[in-house]
Amino acid sequence: MLPTELMQILNRDFPCRELQIRHLSALLSPTLPSPSTVVLHGLEATGKTSLIKQYLHLSKFPHAIVSSRECVTGRHLLERTLAACVASVAALPESETDASAYSRCENLSALAAQLQRLLEGHGKFFLVLDGIDRQRDAPITLFPALARFGEIISNLTTVFLVSIPSPRLLHRPGVPHIHFPAYARSQAIHILSLNPPPIFLNLNEEYTAEEHEEDRKWLWPRFLVATWDSLAKGAARDLVRFREVARMLWEEFVAPIRKGEYGTRDFSRLMVRMRGLFQKEDVLVDGIVPQEKDAQQIIKRPKKVTLDLPYFSKYILCAAYLASYNPTRQDQIFFMKSMEKKRRRRGGGGTPGRAPKNRKIPRNLLHPSAFSLDRLLAILHAVVPHAVPQHADIYTQISTLASLRLLSKAGPAGADMMDSNTKWRVGVGWDVVNSLARSIGLEMTDYLAE
Amino acid sequence: MEYEKCYVLEIPNERPKKKRKIDQKSSLSSWEQRKQLYSELWRRQEQRINDVLDKSNRETLDNILDFIDQTRSEGTSPTIPTGIISGGPDLSSRRRLFEQLAASIQKTKDCNAFVALSSRDALNLKGLLRTLIQRATSRSEALDDNEDEFVPHRKGPRLLNYDLRTLQEWAAEHRVAKVVVAFEDSEAFDSALLAEAIDVLSTFPVKFVLLFGVATSVEHFQDRLPRATIRKLEGRQFDAVKANDMLERVFEVTIDDPDQRLWLGPGLCRMMIDRQNDHFQSVQAFVDAVQYAYMSHFYANPLSLFLGEGPTDKTIPKDHLEGVRSLASFRKYAEDTLEEGKTDAVRSWLDSDQQLLQSIQHALQSGTDKMRGIIGALKLVRHLRAVFQQQPDITFSSLYIKATAGSLNQSPIIRELLLLVKKVASNKLPAILGYLSSANQVQIAKVADQMLKRLDELIAGNEHAAEPLRSEHDLRHETLRTTVVAQKVELSKQKSSLTKQESEYSEIVRDLHRILSEYFDAMLSDPKAVFTHEIFMYDIKSPHRDSSMPRPRLVIERALSTPHDYLNCRCCQVGRVHEDESVLMPSNPPTSILYQLYLESGSLINVSDLYSAFNAIIGKGDNGDDEKRVMVLFQRALAELKYMGFMKTSRKKMDHVTKLAWKGL
Ligand SMILES: Nc1ncnc2c1ncn2[C@@H]1O[C@H](COP(=O)(O)OP(=O)(O)OP(=O)(O)O)[C@@H](O)[C@H]1O
Ligand SMILES: [Mg+2]
Repeated sequence: MLPTELMQILNRDFPCRELQIRHLSALLSPTLPSPSTVVLHGLEATGKTSLIKQYLHLSKFPHAIVSSRECVTGRHLLERTLAACVASVAALPESETDASAYSRCENLSALAAQLQRLLEGHGKFFLVLDGIDRQRDAPITLFPALARFGEIISNLTTVFLVSIPSPRLLHRPGVPHIHFPAYARSQAIHILSLNPPPIFLNLNEEYTAEEHEEDRKWLWPRFLVATWDSLAKGAARDLVRFREVARMLWEEFVAPIRKGEYGTRDFSRLMVRMRGLFQKEDVLVDGIVPQEKDAQQIIKRPKKVTLDLPYFSKYILCAAYLASYNPTRQDQIFFMKSMEKKRRRRGGGGTPGRAPKNRKIPRNLLHPSAFSLDRLLAILHAVVPHAVPQHADIYTQISTLASLRLLSKAGPAGADMMDSNTKWRVGVGWDVVNSLARSIGLEMTDYLAE
Repeated sequence: MEYEKCYVLEIPNERPKKKRKIDQKSSLSSWEQRKQLYSELWRRQEQRINDVLDKSNRETLDNILDFIDQTRSEGTSPTIPTGIISGGPDLSSRRRLFEQLAASIQKTKDCNAFVALSSRDALNLKGLLRTLIQRATSRSEALDDNEDEFVPHRKGPRLLNYDLRTLQEWAAEHRVAKVVVAFEDSEAFDSALLAEAIDVLSTFPVKFVLLFGVATSVEHFQDRLPRATIRKLEGRQFDAVKANDMLERVFEVTIDDPDQRLWLGPGLCRMMIDRQNDHFQSVQAFVDAVQYAYMSHFYANPLSLFLGEGPTDKTIPKDHLEGVRSLASFRKYAEDTLEEGKTDAVRSWLDSDQQLLQSIQHALQSGTDKMRGIIGALKLVRHLRAVFQQQPDITFSSLYIKATAGSLNQSPIIRELLLLVKKVASNKLPAILGYLSSANQVQIAKVADQMLKRLDELIAGNEHAAEPLRSEHDLRHETLRTTVVAQKVELSKQKSSLTKQESEYSEIVRDLHRILSEYFDAMLSDPKAVFTHEIFMYDIKSPHRDSSMPRPRLVIERALSTPHDYLNCRCCQVGRVHEDESVLMPSNPPTSILYQLYLESGSLINVSDLYSAFNAIIGKGDNGDDEKRVMVLFQRALAELKYMGFMKTSRKKMDHVTKLAWKGL
């Protein structure tokens, strides 16, 4: 077991994790023998990474931490692991490791051999593999093989951090697992309330830092409760997201206090005034370009959905939508020039009035179905009100649309684009197509089944 | 179907005769000079185009550079600063923007690295990172394809060449503050790949700035990325100059330059602009088309030689002058002159090369003046429309097209404009007169100056009035009067009386109206009435149509259905046997016969039926030898149709093929 001061520090830094810390200190202890493999598992932001890091740091064990997120391939992970272990061992006092002797590591067995050589004659060594279940481009043997390293190398303990453990993952029974459960409401609020953000940015002399500190500690947890109950409960349950949402709202929430309109302890009045803040859901919507927080702009700007495309490309896209969402067998009804508009609108030859036996999901909610190039062209000719000029260069336009992913190929990835066997799908939704159609004066509902 | 392993087909040894219709003599004699002339004129033109393109991007570029600059101070934020550059689907202009950006980043004093990635460079994550590292550290591309190659020259454990630590170390070594990574065609990247790349980049301590060139819209781009990825990005949106605006700017420099000698004609311009709007938005393609026009003119038209500096009878070969004599515009010019009774002049043009040369020079000069006049008038029209805030916007290119076709002066555009001039109020008049007096038309400038003075005096006397002066044609000077005559209400307009100032003002406006309409009449006449317009104006559409507007499908279908048009053989001549064009003749190429049969059948074709129909046309009876021959031809024709993508073997029925292509699409 770790000395009690260290345990106290850990428990102070990571509240609500007493059990896990106790388990850790028993399994990875300086005195007791350690198992060759340990698995820590839990959902996102439950503190796996930060806890183990802090633990190993405080206990001063020789260790190496490798994050799978940074590794591009399985091979990359192996190279990284070796490099990290070598660096960590070389940094030990009185070690005589020559780093240049460990330069390559092509596969798992090379890694095993090199690690064996490296760790020979040293004490316990911990290798932490973070997020190994998400490793990109990993061979299937990677995980089970790594789990057996501890058997080959007696002084090595491998610690895996995964989100969801599957019993088959390791191909090996008896591995100790430590579960990091997601935080409940009170726990999450408790953890975040330890670091209250400032209310005022610059303090004057009458208002001391201590008073500020106290006010912060008083106001922030109440605010957190309100945030959790209104927004975070449903949409930002993990700690990191919750913290982000709270921080984003905080600035606006305390703005009246900063202006001096409210006192620091006027929580309930402030809540009434700022209740709109907790009703809007803007903070939950992610976007690369942050929305302008302009108080005057209450009326939402209509989203600009029209695309800047050449005239015929617009038609092609609309035709592609029709081809994807109209059943092939009704093409004659919708696209034959001789058919009457009225009949088109009624949609197909089905007898009206009789409800269908089994209710079907509306087509426009389904995945677009694939169509052949010639069907697209035929529909294009039917919907364009004038003749399509011969030099319209439809094929180039289709390939441009495909490179913009407004159209997508449905067949195998390498298939020739212009091969008549290749099938296509439309890549945009109804909103976009409808506004495009408007801009060229095409009435989509005239042609759309349903 | 019966198969043999292989058929031997003996082709009768006949070669088609090639015909070339090039008159070597005359066109080649001036070829070198024309080539030189072309390269000089085009170089200047291209320079102007490049200048305007660079200038148009300047504002966007400055914004982006500012943005990159500002990101430094933020310290360690959890998100990667990201700029989204939205513009049309024109990739070439976006590339240009990024090239300029790269150049300006290199010029700035603080050390930033710039890498542009396109979707072709990045088929998978490994490849993307490898390219990224290579371009940033600008090592040679020689190591490119070698999988898992190690990075040479490095102390300590070696790194894989897609390991971003290489970049990290390099950045530390060269004190590179930021690495700017631009994704040229963001939509074309696989979205999963993009998400992974962003994830990897976000884990490294190197300061990255990402730029995404987006052709559709920010929303469309964002929709394809996972939310976790979006959360890692934060930044701004930059709007690049719209493709249409860019096109207009480029178009303007291709016609308006003090040293312009060759103009594009209305037909060609309309075709080029329409193509941009309807089919293919790309400024680069437009520039290419202009270049092609220059090339076609100078390469193929010997008379373009006259556009050179001061043509003399030494530099101009004789046959070129002969060429001028057969120009349509010369003929018309000569006829007009004859009608005026100047027979001597016409005679001299026909007899004396010297005389002709002089009149050509004269005509070219007046043609150039004519074109400049048109462009000056168009600019005035544009200015007036801006002053009157007329909607909808009419592009300069469409004005030019109308004007050079000679139809602008009668068009409603000018008529409405002149009407508005009649009604103009005194607060808008100085803007018009000021523009006119600074225009490079000397007489008009003088008159405008005078009018401006008159106006100033008038207004000086009218200073106390809040309302601007109005002319007599302004609607406010008309009152409606209702009278009841025999139980019918009659409406009549009545001019209310004008004050003295107002009538003086009306005087000015009337003068202005008169001057303007005379000016437009003079300037906006058809330039194709000018002698030698064939030389200074290029307006031939067919080379462009042939070379840059492919119609692959139509051409194949046409070749298959009317092979005679291409082969020009005597045996298949239509009308020789039947009047009907669509009739099948056994002498047609077998593939085209089969194609006809293919067109006549439904979407699922029985091959055996197809064969018997084929045999009925091409076979010569039922002896065994002939059947073999027909079978060979049939198999080959079938294979060819399959190769061209017309059909494929059906999965539903063994002995059937599925029709894949319909004619006329
Ligand atoms: N009990 C806790 N006390 C204080 N902070 C915590 C606690 N648990 C998590 N955190 C904080 O939450 C954040 C996310 O934690 P961490 O990255 O360790 O989660 P994780 O379980 O590794 O998530 P992932 O599965 O996504 O890798 C860190 O900033 C960490 O400090
Ligand atoms: Mg983690």
